[in-house]
Amino acid sequence: MMIFVLAFGMLILFLTFGIWFAAVLDGVFSRRLSGQSAVGLLAPFHAAAVYLTQQRLRTEAPDQLNWFLSIAGYLSVAAIGLAVVPFGPDLAVIGLDTSVVFWGACESLIVVLIFLHGWSPNAPLSLIGAYRYVAIGLPIMLPSMFVLIAAAIPAQSLDLREIVASQETMWNVIRQPLGLPLFLLLGLSLTLRGPFDYADSEDLAGGTSAEDSGANRAGWQVARLAMLVGFSAVASTAFLGGYLGPVLPGFVWLVLKTLVVMATVIWLSHLLARMPVARMLGLIWKILLPISFLDLLWAGLVALA
Amino acid sequence: MGRIGGTGMTDLIFYALSALAIWSGWRVFRVDSMIRATFALMVSFISVGGIAVLMSADYIGVATVFMMAVEMMVMGLFMVMFMMNPAGLNPMQMVHQYKFSIGAGIMGFVGLTTAVLLTNFPDNPLPENRDTLRDLGIELLGGSMLIFETAGVTLLATMVGAVALSSRRGRFGDSDVGAAPPGLHPGGEPAGRKVEKGGGHGGHGGHGGHQMMAEKTKPNSNDDPHEGHGNMPEMEA
Amino acid sequence: MGMNWIAKLAAKAPVPIFIARGNDAPDETDKLHLNPNLSIVDTPRAASILLVAGTIPHALTAHLHRLHDQLPHPRATIFWHSSPTDQLSSALGVTHGDDLGSFLLQTRAALLTGERASEADVLPDEPANVWRGVGPHGQGGKGMMGGTPYGRPMAMTDDDMRDGLKLDAYTADFGPFLTMLPSGMILKITLQGDLFQKVAVVSPPYEDARQGREIRTLLKLLGLPALANRLLIENAHCEAGFKRLVTLSGVRRAIPPDLGRTHDGSDVRSRFEHMLNDPSNPQNLHLMGLGLGDLLEGREWQEAMLILNSFDNTSLRKICANTPTDATDDMGDSSEQASGGHEGMDHSSHGGH
Repeated sequence: MMIFVLAFGMLILFLTFGIWFAAVLDGVFSRRLSGQSAVGLLAPFHAAAVYLTQQRLRTEAPDQLNWFLSIAGYLSVAAIGLAVVPFGPDLAVIGLDTSVVFWGACESLIVVLIFLHGWSPNAPLSLIGAYRYVAIGLPIMLPSMFVLIAAAIPAQSLDLREIVASQETMWNVIRQPLGLPLFLLLGLSLTLRGPFDYADSEDLAGGTSAEDSGANRAGWQVARLAMLVGFSAVASTAFLGGYLGPVLPGFVWLVLKTLVVMATVIWLSHLLARMPVARMLGLIWKILLPISFLDLLWAGLVALA
Repeated sequence: MGRIGGTGMTDLIFYALSALAIWSGWRVFRVDSMIRATFALMVSFISVGGIAVLMSADYIGVATVFMMAVEMMVMGLFMVMFMMNPAGLNPMQMVHQYKFSIGAGIMGFVGLTTAVLLTNFPDNPLPENRDTLRDLGIELLGGSMLIFETAGVTLLATMVGAVALSSRRGRFGDSDVGAAPPGLHPGGEPAGRKVEKGGGHGGHGGHGGHQMMAEKTKPNSNDDPHEGHGNMPEMEA
Repeated sequence: MGMNWIAKLAAKAPVPIFIARGNDAPDETDKLHLNPNLSIVDTPRAASILLVAGTIPHALTAHLHRLHDQLPHPRATIFWHSSPTDQLSSALGVTHGDDLGSFLLQTRAALLTGERASEADVLPDEPANVWRGVGPHGQGGKGMMGGTPYGRPMAMTDDDMRDGLKLDAYTADFGPFLTMLPSGMILKITLQGDLFQKVAVVSPPYEDARQGREIRTLLKLLGLPALANRLLIENAHCEAGFKRLVTLSGVRRAIPPDLGRTHDGSDVRSRFEHMLNDPSNPQNLHLMGLGLGDLLEGREWQEAMLILNSFDNTSLRKICANTPTDATDDMGDSSEQASGGHEGMDHSSHGGH
């Protein structure tokens, strides 16, 4: 019970700190790229306060319950995703033998929740965002599943704790070089960023969040950042050896690796252009999926050798 | 998950999940939108998945959540795309065919309850730390491999085939170009039944007003299916 | 009235403003993006202040009012280089000499402290076509059919032009203040999912709508808003750093080949390239009766927006002139179709006051 409380406290701390840091990092990258001076460390709090002073508008005949549930659900799934990540040997909030599959279930629920967020306001632009996101969000999950299974092969287990333990000698990012890049693309999609932001994009004036105002808008943005934290933690656990590392305590290593993954995702999201959805579908099915097969095949051959 | 607390805790979670599964299952038939119905069904399935996890079937339970979320998403999207009232942008009434559905519901309930009451459920508690995941893996890739692999490949082939057949764009051009049957005499009108556009009233479930349904099902329900064939001998003669 | 701690925090943030462009919007409007005290938002739902830049033509004032009602409370309207409309007489005006940035900050501070009252709705907050409670189940119609709020018909299956799926078609007006459309442009679009099925021009873009804004809109549509803002800096398009970032982003390959092809062989890619390298000289395109329908029908939303923004304003107005206009001019002010306003959604439904 003590272990559980300890792990839970670490999770809350990790999530809060991570959300704030992701927001600051996002502002820094975006303003650097646009050639402006950087923003202050407290800017995320100020921005959130603006939303909280604003009224929460509703559209005509929205589905208020699902609107709220989609935002709350997105935030909770991010926290649940983080909960399967081991913070140390046998120190995970949810210790499950099938935590990789569990994370997969979270991924698919995220697609549902983002669709629901666009559907609930009952307005055309947000609905188009929802439609489009499902078209991209479901197929991009396939390569991510294959690279996760490939990461599980050396550990001979679907448990993230075992997967970390199997990386004692060599991290998966070196053992399976194709895995992490593909998984990062999924991260862009799960957090609605840059080249994979088909839900909340500029061409739809904000897409699924176009109708969000006040606390709803603040909640959705926070949930997106929380998702980024959760995803980065899973990615660093599956491919960068999680809590493993010399000298420093395991938890610190995990946080450092998570921040590196997070910065990479944010950097990619500001750097890469977004192509129209049909072109992206072609890219996913014709190029990314075969590459993920290669990754799986490689992992299997290495395991047999 | 079972290590959260003692038996009491597990029992409590079991009853809560069962109640959620039943309640959301009931909501499927009470809500007035296809998306709400789909996702209520999803919640029901997820609760059942949670119960499976409680029963130490970790993999089956979590995989149920995984599969159902994707499945329901695809199903909901297709319903929104193909049926009237995409996403409920306009208000509408969802429920129809009351008598039939009530009858079917009662029949189903009685049948399933009888089955539950008459079945002899196995009663062999598993040891605490049994690795069910490994058992499942050995079963899937051992004794039952032929069955599962055959079923899997068949399903995949079916899906690929369905997509290929329903696609309009093909390697020889659009499927509806040149797809008309040849005429009954050289240079004549294409043979077969012609689908007219518009009009028609569907006698669908006793409701007069759903024009959409009427239009959609018209080729089957309204047109006399024998009309075209009936004419053929005369024309030949 | 003092401020609570949330309001105090909020007063330190950049002012979120939504810009409604008139047909003679000042040149400095775009430069507002570079002001660290302002954040220009894409949707009125996120804005505290509605900035009306330039004169809104009389025909579009109803749209402006609908847009105004979409801002959450507390809200204020500021007319910049223009005079307030009769219905928005309480709005503030800013003339040429004043420093707009600090004026916006002061107005927002006054809103937060309550010194300045939030502006009330201009248009009535009720559906134009009553439907609630009508019909046997209160759904507003007979059988399964529901009501038609704002006269918007229920979407119906329609013939398809692309993949053979006969999906529901949805028709609505989009514009004139949507950030991804050229300012002043209103299109009546029939959509199937995110595919354009039919398009008609309700109102063409302003005559002087976008000197050099097309390239920045294109970059934004392609998911590169930071690079779009960088172009606002003097001579940024010649910098080696900017050019390298554009190449790195893969934006050229992100645009599908042959998208929005005109008769003389120019497509979105080539027009994008031209605008990027030579923003001051508009391309001389041979349009020859090319209409919006030829360009947009069968296109996905993002592709269609790319095509629209790849033309310079003169060409786009010519293309609009070649497009059949929407004949339903009988639409009154507030009883208009659902999406006459900004977002294509129902303006007078802010029930949450």
